[in-house]
This record gives sequence, C-alpha cells and structure tokens, in this order.
Amino acid sequence: MLVVDIGKCTGCRRCESACAFFRTGRISNRLARVKIVSLYQTGIDGPVACGQCQERYCDCCPHDAITYGSLGQVIVSPTSCRLCGACQEACPIGAIEIFNEFVYVCDLCGGRPRCVEACTEGAIHDQREEENHPSLARFKKGAKGMSLAQKRAAYVEVLGAEVRKTWSKAHA
Amino acid sequence: MLKCGYGGRILRIDLSERRYRVEPLDSSWIKPVIGGRAANTKRLFEELDVQCDPLGPENLLIFGVGPLTGSLLPASAYYTVTAKSPLTGILGDSAAGGQFAAEMKLTGFDQIILSGRATSLLYLFVTDSSVEFVECPQYAGSTTLETTEAIRRDRRDPSVEIATIGPAGENRVLFSCIVSSGNRVNGRTGMGAVMGSKRLKALVVRGSRPVQVADSLGFLSEVRQIESDIAKHQEYDKRYKLGTTLLMTDLNRIGILPTRHFQEGVCDYVDAISGERLASTYKVKNKSCFNCGLHCSRYYVIDGCEAEGPEFETLCGFTSRIGNQSLPFALEMNSYLNRLGLDSISTCEVIGWLMECQDRDLISPADVDGLHITWGDTDAIRNVIRMIAFREGIGDKLAEGATKCSKGFSEDAQKLVMHVKGLDIICGDPRGIKAYGLTYAIASRGADHLRAEPYFELTDKKEEAKRRFGTEKAADRLAEEGKAALVAYSETIALLTDSLTMCKNIGLCMDVLDLDRASRLLRFGTGLDYSAECLSDMMRKVIDMEFELNGRFGVKREDSTLPERFVKESLPEGPTKGSTVDIQRMVDEYYALHKWDG
Repeated sequence: MLVVDIGKCTGCRRCESACAFFRTGRISNRLARVKIVSLYQTGIDGPVACGQCQERYCDCCPHDAITYGSLGQVIVSPTSCRLCGACQEACPIGAIEIFNEFVYVCDLCGGRPRCVEACTEGAIHDQREEENHPSLARFKKGAKGMSLAQKRAAYVEVLGAEVRKTWSKAHA
Repeated sequence: MLKCGYGGRILRIDLSERRYRVEPLDSSWIKPVIGGRAANTKRLFEELDVQCDPLGPENLLIFGVGPLTGSLLPASAYYTVTAKSPLTGILGDSAAGGQFAAEMKLTGFDQIILSGRATSLLYLFVTDSSVEFVECPQYAGSTTLETTEAIRRDRRDPSVEIATIGPAGENRVLFSCIVSSGNRVNGRTGMGAVMGSKRLKALVVRGSRPVQVADSLGFLSEVRQIESDIAKHQEYDKRYKLGTTLLMTDLNRIGILPTRHFQEGVCDYVDAISGERLASTYKVKNKSCFNCGLHCSRYYVIDGCEAEGPEFETLCGFTSRIGNQSLPFALEMNSYLNRLGLDSISTCEVIGWLMECQDRDLISPADVDGLHITWGDTDAIRNVIRMIAFREGIGDKLAEGATKCSKGFSEDAQKLVMHVKGLDIICGDPRGIKAYGLTYAIASRGADHLRAEPYFELTDKKEEAKRRFGTEKAADRLAEEGKAALVAYSETIALLTDSLTMCKNIGLCMDVLDLDRASRLLRFGTGLDYSAECLSDMMRKVIDMEFELNGRFGVKREDSTLPERFVKESLPEGPTKGSTVDIQRMVDEYYALHKWDG
C-alpha cells in the first residue's frame, strides 16, 4: 500500500505526471490516481492517493464493481461499473475520482507504482506486508458535502498541521 | 494541423465588452516562434498599437505557454506575461514558474490575450470550455495570498491555480507584479499594473485537456537523459539546498555583490545574510516547480511570517544592496512584497537610490515629504514599501519607479539611478561580469540578465571559449573581448528556453539545454521538424523582431548602455577592484554581429 510522508513533499507533482503518463500516455492531474494538494498559505504540499484504509469506505458499490486485489489495491470492474459515483462520494479523502467516464483510483500499477519511482524525495513509499492500515474515520464526517478537491485539501491540511508542529519545534 | 504538444487554441478576452472568442492556433504562425516568450513577442509585434497608453484599454496583456509546458520535461513550468510596459514604455514581459503554467496548459489555450478594461473589479475563471467574468468588489485591496485563498474557497475547488495582483497592482504602481502559486512572481516590467489598469484582479485557470506528445517513447528517453544530467550535475546538492541564494556568497567571493547601492562589491556581513544562513536557520522544506527534480525553491518560517523564497534577487536586494544586515527582516520583506504584489528589484532600487541620494545630500528629507531613510533602516523601509503600494504621500511618486521619479531631482541624482531603458538593474555588479554588463545594456526589456544569462564567462573554460567565441577571454569575467559573441549565442539559448517555457537555472546555468536537444524535444513533443540550425535562425529572427518593436517604441542605440557608475568609477576593494566596463566597445561589437544599424 502507498504510504505518504508529506513532510518530504515539495509539491513538484512528478508522482502525478508519472502516474498519468504511464497509465494513459498523456499528462493531466485529472488522469492521475495520485493528486497533489498545495496549500499556499501554509507551505504544505502532499500527495493524496488511496492508502487502503481500514474502513474500506469504497466498499459500498451498489453494482459490485469494486473488489480488492492481492496487494490490497482497489480494482474497479469496467463492465460492472455504472459510473454512479457512490465510491467517489464515500471516500473521505477524495482518492477516487470519476473523470470522463473512467474511475481513477490507485491500483499500485499492479505492483510497481510509478509514482514511487518518480518521487526523488522519498515522500511516497510502497509498503508491502503493512498491517497497520490507516483509519480515515476522523475525516469521514467533515467530508460530507465537500467537493473532491476540498476533501483532498482538508485531508492534507490535517496531516500538514503535524508537519508544521515539527517546524516550530525546529526553530524553538 | 497542431495535434501534439500544443493546446492548439488561443483565447481572446475583451474586458470592456465582457466577451471572449476562441481561435485555432495557426501552425504556420506558431512554428517559427515555438511558444512562450517568443510567441508573446510576435503577438505584441503584430497586434499592438505601439503608441498606446500602457495603462489604457488598448494595451494587450498576453499570458503564454508553450508546446512542452506541463509535459514530462523537467522544469517545463513557466508562463510568460507580455505587454507594453508602463514602467519603461517598451517591450515588457516577465515569466514565472510554480504551478500556474501547467494548469493553464490543461485549458488547451496556448495564449490568453486580454484587452480592454472592465467597468469594475473582476476575476476571470477560465476552463477548457468556458470563461466566466466574476465581479469581485469584495477582493479590492486584498493581498495576493488572501485573494488566492478566497477564490479557491468560493469556487469550492482548492486545486484551481490563480495569477493575481495585490494592492500595488490595483493602485497601478508601475513596478507591480503578478503573483501565482502563492509566491511565484511575474516580477519585472510592471505587468501587475497593466492587469490593474484592466481592473482584472485575477486570472483563474482549471483545465482538463491532457498534454500529449507526438512520440511518447522518444520524448521519455530524452527526458530520462535530462533528468540524469540534472541529478548528476556537480552543483546539484548546492542548488538543492540553496537554490539561487547560493549567489550571495559566490558573488561576494568575486567582489560583485551589490552593497550599499553598488558603491561596493564586497559585503563584510555576507555570512549573516547568505543562502547558507537562510538554509541553516529558517528554511523548513524544499519547494518545487511543476515536474522538476531539482526542488530548488525553499519555504521558510520566522516569527510571525512565513513564505516561499526568497530568490537571490530579493535576498540581495533587501540585504546588502540597501545596507540591511538582518536576514529575518529580508525574509519579512520577501513575504510582504509578494503579498502586496511589488517587484523586489525595482522596489529595492528606488529605496537604495533614495538612500544614496540622501547620504550624498542630493535629496533632502524636505524634498520628499520629510522622509528620511538611511542604510538598513528597517522601519523606514517597511514604511516606504507600504506608502508605495498604496500610493500614500511620497509613495505616490516613488511608485513611478526610480527612473521616472528621479526626473524631479538634480542631474546628479538622476545619474545615480541604476537602470537601463528605465528598468532597474539586477543584483550583480557588471564591473566584474562583463558579459552580464553587455546583457543589461542590450536586453530588450531593459536592464536584465535573463535575456542571455551568459553564465559561461564564469566557468573559466578557456579552450572552449577560444573554439566557440574566438578568444579565451570569453571565459574571463573581467575581459570585454569575445563577450559580444558569447552574448549573441547565449541570448538564442535563453530565448529558446523561454519559448519552451523551461527554467533558466536548469536550461542555462546547469547547461542542460542546447540546440540539438531542443530540436529533439520539439520533434518528439510536437511532431514538427526543427534542425538545430533552423532553431538558431528562428530565435535570431525573434531577437531582430524585439529590436524592431523597441525601435517603434522609440528606443535608440544610445539607450543601450550602462549607468555612468559602471563605466567610470571602479570598485574600492575586493577581487573586482579597479575594473570598469568598456560598454561602448561591447555594444558596438554586438550591434555589428547582429548587423543592426541602430
């Protein structure tokens, strides 16, 4: 599963570009399954991608189009999916997005995540054998009524607050 | 047909009529100029009424990206904003990195051309398929960061990218800038004032048209090579840590760090204000432009203030150049200027000029509304900046920039303005870097180094100098010989870098881009064939076009020179002691190379 250390993220979006390029041959953040949020007022940047949460909020597909692979990755069946948006709505951090009739969500590139290779800063890792899947419960309630980009920003803001604490310590 | 690389469309927006029009980008029009700065220049050349008031509705404000912007090419992250400059009255343009360009590219518009003037303050929201004119009286007077946050909130989309002006642009301070990505700045030549004159608070972009190159595998292999060149570059670690602020100690070491307004070139307190000091005390993280693996920008936090930056120009401009020894104060000013939307180079020049004039009793406090400002007087500096941004009291005159402001004073005071063609000189004393001196003198937007960035003269590569530019002296920073040839070469690469919307630090200073590589990138990227020779010819033609355009604006050959100080006075101490610039000789050689009659 992807594990993010946003304290190391510089906001270069190389993960995003690599994701879109290697999976679609083109570049656009809309085509990427990992999306960078840059919060200019606090200097925080961070990638948002499916981190395989404990709750599996996306496991609510009314058409049974979502299953989970051997790496824990989300697999969306293109034949069963009706693009209803239930998964996108359910994910509290905006890690699933439907764009142009396709569901964009991290599937670990089937085992060799291109975003991890592209990141020169060590801000994204692919951790196998990881048993401590993150809980996103604390984000779920606040996410209600938010746009996908807002959900991502709210998530990064919370993680960023922790990073900012280390900054103030460094200069105390 | 333009299928790859380009968005393939241009967007024309008439702010007076609140109308817009989408036009296809003609491939035969764009091919000889590629994109970015060169394409913007051509647009201005063909469409602008040169007699127009730069702050009138007739002026055009052009945002341009290029065929490889937002692609996998590292540091292909720049957009150029072009207009007739209100500060200089000639060609004005300024580029910025960050994230705006990549998002603008996704709208599918290679150029956004703004004309007219809105009846009230508004912002534009541009997507692939729509343009909204949004009235925003509530943002009047708000800072660039406040506006950015407010628009992201209002649109319920924190991923939109915003290029905005601050109070300085609204008040048409002639050297106000446009700010995007929080702290990325189109600083020079007053593009913020042009935007303010159009009553346009912000240009907001959100796109979804993907960037597609013609030959993905070919492009990828070229990109891999470039990434490797960057990562293995001998200065990678230093640049990663310090960014452009590495120049503080580097320039001081060779005695050309502007100190007390170019009266000295060695700053004895450089260690207190250096990039190294910044990195070890206040820097908290690296920041990056779109898709760049160098991550040379920095974020800092000090008591009560935080921001991205500063780059070298701002750091030097608000420390040694104006006699300030406090690094925290310079960092506070970096953030303050970005929020107000003021260009740091022109701001520090008007302040430094006034300091020197008062020091020499050429301007008394009584001449300037009682303002008394001495070297490093932080309270006075902070105050003056506010007065400039809001055009309060004497700030109203200072807001015209040092060159125009000086006209009301003695000839001696006028001579002390460090400018060429009305644009303030950057932080690098030309007496110790002669090719840069020539670049300031001939640059088409006025005193500027980025038009050529002839970094080669600092490399000491004597043999290569002889082979390429006819004399070993081309690699001797104190010599005038061979510098015209060096600048004439470098300016084509600089323009090429700008037209590919690539970063000059990477393209030029790290020597990553050359003509052959550019031709491969363009072939893989756009499918259009360009030989290295043809690229060089094309860029020369654009340089001729800039020259002709400036001729129409009234620029004369005698304007291509340097302030008297650099020609007649030598520096008092340090490794550049005793040197002056024989600017006439270099300019003559340069004009001869271009076959310009002047």
